[in-house]
Amino acid sequence: MASRSVAKDIITLRGSAAIVSEFFGYAANSILYNRGVYPEESFAKVKKYGLPMLLTQDEGVKSFISNLTAQLSEWLEAGKLQRVVLVIMSKASNEVLERWNFSIETDGEVVEKGVSREKSDKEIMREIQAIMRQIASSITYLPCLDEPFSCPHTSFGHGSSSSAGGFIVSLPLDVLFTGVFDVLAYTDTDVAVPFTWIESDPKLIANPQMVKLHSFDTKIHKVDTLVSYKNDEWDEQ
Amino acid sequence: MILRTPPPKKQRSEPMHHESPSPLVAAEGPLIIYEDSPLVAPPPESSHQPSDHLLCTYQCRQMVKADVLDALSNAEKQISDYQSKLEALSESLSKAEAERKKFKDQFLYAEQELAAAKGREQMLHDQLLKEVNDSQERFKKHLETNNELKGKLQNEMNLRKKAESSASSAEEKAADLEGKLTQFSQSMEREKKRLHNELAQLKGESKLSVSRISADLERMEFRANNAEKESELLKEQLEDLKKQLNECLNQKNEVEKKFSSFTFQEVTSSESSILIKHLQEELRNYESEVREARKLKSSHEDIELLKAKLLEEKGRRERAESELSKLQEQHISLNNLENELSLWKVIMKDIPDVSCPEDIPVKFATLQKEVIESTIKIGEVNARLKQIEVGLDAAELAKQNAEADAALVKEKAEVLKSEFKRTEHMLSLVTEERDKLRNVINESRSHKNEVADGTVVQELESSLAKKESCIKELERNLHEHKEINDRQHNEIKLLHDRLNNEARRIKSLERESDRLRSEISLLESKLGHGDYSAANTKVLRMVNTLAVDNEAKQTIEALQTELQKTKEKLQALEELKSQSGETGKLVDSYISEKIMKLKEQIATLEKREERYKTVFADRISVFRRACCELFGYKIVMDEHQRPNGIPVTHFTLQSIYAQNDDEKLEFEYESGNTNILANNYTAQPEISHQVDIFVRKLNSIPAFTANLTVESFNRRTLS
Repeated sequence: MASRSVAKDIITLRGSAAIVSEFFGYAANSILYNRGVYPEESFAKVKKYGLPMLLTQDEGVKSFISNLTAQLSEWLEAGKLQRVVLVIMSKASNEVLERWNFSIETDGEVVEKGVSREKSDKEIMREIQAIMRQIASSITYLPCLDEPFSCPHTSFGHGSSSSAGGFIVSLPLDVLFTGVFDVLAYTDTDVAVPFTWIESDPKLIANPQMVKLHSFDTKIHKVDTLVSYKNDEWDEQ
Repeated sequence: MILRTPPPKKQRSEPMHHESPSPLVAAEGPLIIYEDSPLVAPPPESSHQPSDHLLCTYQCRQMVKADVLDALSNAEKQISDYQSKLEALSESLSKAEAERKKFKDQFLYAEQELAAAKGREQMLHDQLLKEVNDSQERFKKHLETNNELKGKLQNEMNLRKKAESSASSAEEKAADLEGKLTQFSQSMEREKKRLHNELAQLKGESKLSVSRISADLERMEFRANNAEKESELLKEQLEDLKKQLNECLNQKNEVEKKFSSFTFQEVTSSESSILIKHLQEELRNYESEVREARKLKSSHEDIELLKAKLLEEKGRRERAESELSKLQEQHISLNNLENELSLWKVIMKDIPDVSCPEDIPVKFATLQKEVIESTIKIGEVNARLKQIEVGLDAAELAKQNAEADAALVKEKAEVLKSEFKRTEHMLSLVTEERDKLRNVINESRSHKNEVADGTVVQELESSLAKKESCIKELERNLHEHKEINDRQHNEIKLLHDRLNNEARRIKSLERESDRLRSEISLLESKLGHGDYSAANTKVLRMVNTLAVDNEAKQTIEALQTELQKTKEKLQALEELKSQSGETGKLVDSYISEKIMKLKEQIATLEKREERYKTVFADRISVFRRACCELFGYKIVMDEHQRPNGIPVTHFTLQSIYAQNDDEKLEFEYESGNTNILANNYTAQPEISHQVDIFVRKLNSIPAFTANLTVESFNRRTLS
């Protein structure tokens, strides 16, 4: 596992990648729970970062997130990952409603030379805890996703596959649910696209409201969190 | 002491006269008597007149008394006058002394104040000098920092130019790389599309093949039934063919025998005619047989043709089905492409400076370049900002310090000025007092000659003179200080100007920093919005879960295995079809044995056919030669098929009397009908005339050919 010795708090590239990918897994679960993407009863409470974190028990979502975090960890160790974006879309109109943007700055020297850094684990945990609290409190200002999300998956229906000329091909995630969330990764252009990933458009929001959250830094990877959401019509009125 | 004997009157008149001019001396005369003072020896005459004296002593005494009393009173008056005068003088003296003391005190005070002012001035001067030096040093430092900042700015400018040049070269490389990337991406996309299309096609094909196979299965069943029936029919035909073959063989043997007998026997003309007739009959028989064989062959060929047609139609149908499916897919893709086109057109309308799709990559490249430039600029600007902020802070601090120093210096200069004015005022006051004192002293000097104050006044005057000299020195110093102050004022003005310039520069730098901050916030908002540079970044999306993937893989594998099985089956069927030469049969063991037997029979028949062909070819060549000799035409026969599949025989006739090779007639024989074909020879007016008459009107080709032969013979013989 991550080579972090509690006594000296040395952080290696692999350890930092594990921390960041694990953080993203928990953050994704927290967002899915707090934004009501999946019903509350499908989540179970665990203790992490000194907080009670909620993890989904749905096998499909679980496997999805675990594959995702494994791939992110691999890209982080290679220093090729620039950003991870969790996109929440309307199931009816496929319109992007929210973008949870996690920007990652990698220390190139560590990737090239394999040196390690020193930082207190507690400090990192505290920083992550702050971000998790902010995600939980984001419901106070984020607009309501007022579409009634259906019950957990019924069947593996094949979604629409737009083939031919488009960038986006193959089965989207709405196979599991009804077109609610997706994960985008901004990587370097020389990254080989794995089998379960395809090139995509960035799914931007036009004229979004942006809220910048806290960031955390392992001295090897610095993660900035930002949420941009579509302006709610009620708020505008 | 009064003389007892008064002197005579004359003598009295003399002392009386003597007394009047000098009362004091006169008072001393009698006084001298009374006092017995040896001052004035009494005259001897008085001693000589003692008797006279006794007579008039009382009167004399009374007269003397009166005189003395008068003199006394006068003297007393004089004394009182003198006393009063003395008192007045003493009073004036005391006043003068008091005034002198006062002036002396004032002098001392003025001296002290002058000394204090001098000391203060000296101190102020020293302070001023120090402050001026400090401010000069500070301004020098400020100037040095400014020069350093300028040098740094120039370095930055040079670095920026270098960076720009390297950025331009990097941009070119990036453009090349982008082009390569686009090519790669396009090729990747194409491959992806192709793979996806293949996948979809495979899936469709699999579905189609499944449906087709079921339909084929049904068809095969029907065909098997038909094939059984046909096989029975063919069996019967085979038996007929066998019988015919036997007959043919018998005839052949007879013919051979006849030929052998014919070659070895000499026959007469009648026998030859009989022989010829026989031969002709046999020929006709053979011809009929040949015709029958040809019919068989043609039927066989028809069967083959039908088979081929069937295959073609099958293929066409399959192709049509696949093309149908492709059509559908292409419709879908067309719709998608149209949607995308419309989207892109809308986007193109929104994008400025884009008029056609080819401009879009250029525009994208320029936008990407702009984004790259902007990110680079952001980095540079950030670095510059930081440096400028540091410089700003230092400059502000220096400015504040310089302003404070300037204010202090101003205050001190004003203080100095006020003090200078005060000292001048004091000096003027002092000089006025000195003048007054001088006047008073002169006045007192004029009144009293003996007074000892003159020395003091002289002393005062000397001290005054000294003070005047000191005052002059002070004035000179003040003047110098004034000049120094003026110089310092000018320096301060210059420094103020410099300060203002620096302040202006600072403001411009602040404005630039605000602008850069706004740019940074804009770019940060863009980054936060999610924009990215395609040169450095690509966006990937996770597609599906493992479970779905596995299921899809399994279905695909199952479909692929089914496809392979059906393909094998189809291949086997096709092989069977090609080998048997019949319409398709079911893969049945009984039918396959039959097919094998029939195949053997067909092989033997084909061998025989080939043998017959060779025999017939010989016969035909003989026949042709005979025909040519007999009828005067070389006949070349070609068989080919029209596009609709109907066999047509093409005859080319060349007369033996033809004068050149172009004189050829072409005929077409089709199922009993012979038609003449137009060519260059028949297009000649003579020949066409004959064709019109004999062929079209009289409907007789033999007549035409015979006429042509006769004419060409005549031409030949005559020429």
